[in-house]
Amino acid sequence: MKNSINRIVIIGGGTAGWLSAAIIAAEHSIEKNLSSGDHNVKLCVVESPDIPTIGVGEGTWPSMRSTLKKIGIAETDFFRECNASFKQGTQFHNWTYGKNDTYTHPFTAPHNFNETNLAPHWQEVREKVNFADAVCPQSPLFNKKLAPKNIATPEYAFHVNYGYHLDAGKFAELLRRHCVEKLGVEAISANVTTINSAENGDISSISTDTQNEIVGDLFIDCSGSNALLLGEHYGIPLVNKSQFLFNNSALAAQIPYQDPEDPIQSATLSTAQSAGWIWDIGLSTRRGIGHTYSSDHTTEEGAHAELLDYIATTAGEAAAAGASIRKIAFDPGHREKFWHKNCVAIGMSSGFIEPLEASALVLVELSAAMIAEQLPANRKIMDLVAKRFNDKFLYRWDRIVDFLKLHYVLTQRTDAEYWVDNCQPSTIPESLQELIDIWQYQPPWHCDSDQIDEMFPSASFQYILYGMDFKTEINPMQRRSDREAGKRAMALFTDNAKRTEQLMALLPTNRELINKIYKYGFQKI
Amino acid sequence: MSNYVVLNPATHQNTHVLTDRGEAQGDSIQYALTYPLEFRNIQACYPIFFSKSSETGEFFPIALFGFEKNENLFLDKAGWNASYIPMMVERQPFLIGYQGSSEDDLKPIVSIDMDSPKISQDQGQPLFEEQAQPSEYLKKVMTKLESLHHGHEHNKGFIAALTAADLLEPFTLKITLDNGSTNQLIGFYTINENKLLELDGATLADFNTKGYLQPIYMAVASYARIRALIDKKNALLK
Repeated sequence: MKNSINRIVIIGGGTAGWLSAAIIAAEHSIEKNLSSGDHNVKLCVVESPDIPTIGVGEGTWPSMRSTLKKIGIAETDFFRECNASFKQGTQFHNWTYGKNDTYTHPFTAPHNFNETNLAPHWQEVREKVNFADAVCPQSPLFNKKLAPKNIATPEYAFHVNYGYHLDAGKFAELLRRHCVEKLGVEAISANVTTINSAENGDISSISTDTQNEIVGDLFIDCSGSNALLLGEHYGIPLVNKSQFLFNNSALAAQIPYQDPEDPIQSATLSTAQSAGWIWDIGLSTRRGIGHTYSSDHTTEEGAHAELLDYIATTAGEAAAAGASIRKIAFDPGHREKFWHKNCVAIGMSSGFIEPLEASALVLVELSAAMIAEQLPANRKIMDLVAKRFNDKFLYRWDRIVDFLKLHYVLTQRTDAEYWVDNCQPSTIPESLQELIDIWQYQPPWHCDSDQIDEMFPSASFQYILYGMDFKTEINPMQRRSDREAGKRAMALFTDNAKRTEQLMALLPTNRELINKIYKYGFQKI
Repeated sequence: MSNYVVLNPATHQNTHVLTDRGEAQGDSIQYALTYPLEFRNIQACYPIFFSKSSETGEFFPIALFGFEKNENLFLDKAGWNASYIPMMVERQPFLIGYQGSSEDDLKPIVSIDMDSPKISQDQGQPLFEEQAQPSEYLKKVMTKLESLHHGHEHNKGFIAALTAADLLEPFTLKITLDNGSTNQLIGFYTINENKLLELDGATLADFNTKGYLQPIYMAVASYARIRALIDKKNALLK
């Protein structure tokens, strides 16, 4: 019995399907026709001509730079074809007090982060300078809408760390073309009609309306939130997380710039509302603006009104009047497991939690990368790889829930039930509560991470905690190293201020740089 | 700063250009742009590297004269001591552009930098004779400017070919001088000789047809000039 894993079938051709295909195909040598005994992999993506892709997920993490590089897409092509722009972090408005307060979570870690924890030293100067500005040169760039690099910087390299804002539909299209033309992936346009089982409960093949049976050794479910294979076929249930994170609806709009040369934001803007928050993502050609909210705390009409108000304020009355708004409902949560038998879910089929901190695309990257790396040699060890995969991603989903919830529990807002409810102890995961208890007496640091490839490093926790005015009572007990460390920290603060000033003078605006990318492109070196 | 204005006999009847070279004439430059059509002459005197424009990120070849900003080791009291002076240096203080309604109907437009230290009202070479006729000097300049323009066009294809074949690589030159001090040259790029040796026959044939192959090897050969440049620098320390 042949039981090596050679034939991979991906169901669903949205961003998740094509990004997964590209990541796996870039790692393995892909052949369209397998001859027996071949060590190659055959990879096909079955996409329905009738189901439109959701096309949200317009923000990435910096990890997307290395993902794109590995896949073999030139950064210039990516910018030109996906209307992409630079994302250097997130800027939060009204999250702490609801009174025009702002803080940032930049992608660049605090200065000298591997060796020095600046957070305790910042406590002494916290009245004078906010945390992000004191430890990192990046957030001052946001206000001037500056880019993280200039045209002479090689592709994927940077002065300050960045990910992207992108048009999800165009991104899927670019990935598809790259997969088919460069990576040997087969695209099959068909609707799945039947899922056929083997005796051991594996999926042996799928039948479609246009093709013969498509046989596979491993099936990747990228079919969206219905989860055709993992959910509908195998009945793996969704673990609901709405007791922690209340948002279950979104209203999304695409808003044109008033002038095509309008400045482009350097960060995702996130503005808290009465029962949710509004994202504002600046692409090169338009803005993506949406409101994600809890339907238990407000009505669709109420959320709609707040969104229109935001659009009118930031883009003009005409833009608000002309806005076409799409509603998306979701159950916040993830599947009980992601890999079952010979089927693994990636993307919306594995779960979805509100877009705060843009965890959707990075989970696709991480899932596909683990499959590419750990691709089981044969069926016998697949169950072991599946167990590893499930353990790893259950852990990651829990960390995402913790990290997102952190943004809510630190609020001082009491003006709406939503914010009050978010601070109820019963809505806070125990693992997060423990961390918060510790952080009252010591700032986040490397020990807070359990795993070597933690999704959210302690740097991210620091930015959120101190951005939201969290108080850490530093133990007054002097340590031997304190005097020396204090001096070093002050030198690092000065150093950071100097570097900030240099970068402010050196870097072009996002708009200037993107125009140059269109005109000249980035060099590879 | 430069102040380029379009050259015309009425305005520039009395304008002269100083043709001797030295610090006062603005020749204290560390490097100058060059292009493949003059590599043969350049490599006889100077190392050829590649640099990136901070405005466009595009690569261009340069001839190196020194190891620090504003250091030109070829300048001495007598002038520019080398058998060949790069065209981009020679063209100073002029620029050439082309204007016209269509590709076939382009007329050369010559501009002159009136703020250049080479400009004089009574010394050096006159630009125009009586009756607004161009001087012998200006005629020579025009010829040079035209070949410069052609060289520049050819260079675009040359650079595109080099980058498409991944033939450029960043490099850092560390030199130790006789007095023990070290100089580091960063921000320049060279031909990656390993990649060059791996080029397939079809690419080599293509490069040869387009006139790119010879200048690539000229650039590689020019690295031998680094030694001469170090010797000049050491001589200054004595």
